[in-house]
Amino acid sequence: MAPVFLAVAITELAITVLLFIRLAAGPTISDRIVALNTMSTQAALAVLFFAAFAGRTIYLDVSLWLASFSYLGAIVWSRYLERGLL
Amino acid sequence: MREAIVIALAVIGLAFTLSGAVGILRMPDVYSRIQCSSKTVTMGALPMLIALVVAEGPVSSYGSRALLVAVLLLILNPAASHALARAAYKSGVPMWRGAVTDEPREGDGRADDGAAP
Repeated sequence: MAPVFLAVAITELAITVLLFIRLAAGPTISDRIVALNTMSTQAALAVLFFAAFAGRTIYLDVSLWLASFSYLGAIVWSRYLERGLL
Repeated sequence: MREAIVIALAVIGLAFTLSGAVGILRMPDVYSRIQCSSKTVTMGALPMLIALVVAEGPVSSYGSRALLVAVLLLILNPAASHALARAAYKSGVPMWRGAVTDEPREGDGRADDGAAP
């Protein structure tokens, strides 16, 4: 089933191109953060499926890191928007 | 049979992810876009992770990592979406001009006619 995994990973990255448009053209900072958050989720999934395609278990840790710590970035950004620098 | 299930789940997930990305691109204000990004995770990412679990089995290294990523996304994505929406509202990002209600400002959720913010 390796070709299915590769196709899924490449399609994820192709969908991410749409989010790059919103990241570049978002009117406010919040728009850009939403696009970036979604892009990081797509990147985690793409890395996971590429690991399953290539048969390399070391890429799985990259996917776990992206899935868990990208939300930390979103929460830090929203705290900055709400209260300013500390 | 198993490959058919995997392909069906992956196509469902990719279709919802594409619709969520188009929604993020086309929706008129920040709050609608936050809703679209939540849909991208809930209906787009989870079927794809389930497809990986079905393909590799839940006790393999790939399947167990996919389950772990699914649990992480289910816990963390609503929290991040909530924090983003709250921060956007508090920092004064305007709603779409056709929005019909603004509950934190008006108290109970009933808007009068033409009371768009």
